[in-house]
Amino acid sequence: MDPLVKSAKEGDQLAFAMLFKENYPFLVKYLIKITMNPDIAEELAQDTMAKCIQKMNLYNGQSKFSTWLISIATNAYIDHCRKQKRENNWKGQEEVYRKLKWHFESRNEEWNDAIGALGKLPVDVRVPIVLKHYYGYSYDEIGAWLKISPGTVKSRVHNGILAVRRELKIGEETEGRHTRQRTTK
Amino acid sequence: MKKQKVVILDNEQQNKRDLDAIHALQEGLTKVDQFPVYTPDLQWFEIMIQTEKQNSRKKLMKELSMFIMIALIILSGIIVSFYQMPVVFIFIQIITSIFIVLYTFTRFSKKVNSNE
Repeated sequence: MDPLVKSAKEGDQLAFAMLFKENYPFLVKYLIKITMNPDIAEELAQDTMAKCIQKMNLYNGQSKFSTWLISIATNAYIDHCRKQKRENNWKGQEEVYRKLKWHFESRNEEWNDAIGALGKLPVDVRVPIVLKHYYGYSYDEIGAWLKISPGTVKSRVHNGILAVRRELKIGEETEGRHTRQRTTK
Repeated sequence: MKKQKVVILDNEQQNKRDLDAIHALQEGLTKVDQFPVYTPDLQWFEIMIQTEKQNSRKKLMKELSMFIMIALIILSGIIVSFYQMPVVFIFIQIITSIFIVLYTFTRFSKKVNSNE
């Protein structure tokens, strides 16, 4: 186990603070990717750290500390979405990435259509896609964090990729040609 | 044989399209990773940890005192009923036993159903 993590587990406040400072950008960037909103991401990063302090004695050091943070952050975001749904504060999928788009524009950066397509996906599909195809976690790990079976994760990722493909119109030309050929026969 | 070849080619094409979509996503997410994130200083984290620890200690004390108070109320109620109203005491005992049996039975059957 990392000596910093070990000291933090033993109650060393400074070690804890250093550990959080070290992992903070990684955590916030992960949360931006799944929430598509930098403000909510920062809010959830604080929630995640608070939960982390409470659950530190449960961390066994088998996975990396950053991985453990991601698992807590994922659940914090899912709880946040449930709460918003309960309070009827739920905004449509279209509105999810509007804030991120604004951030892109304010930095004179070109908006990426793939991010837009990802933002249009429901949370339970978007999160597994980011975890699988950007961070490279296994279906088993993702399933354990989201409390669903690895098979369900796999099908959600697959369907999500299909939806992204449709949105980005990848392979539509050739598909169109195929159907045209079929109909003429 | 020909059919099989066509299916394999189709699958390869599908996989290629999937990979294209995945690459596009990765490219976009890499751009998000390049966003500058403001990281507060070490002192901010220390204060946050201290406050959070104090809050959780307060919450624990509150929950513990609530638990002890409720336990005392229930216990004193049972003791009073035992000495003053034995019929009520026996009634409570029977109701509690039935409740425990029913609760365990429903929980167990739910578990079996979910495993099936």
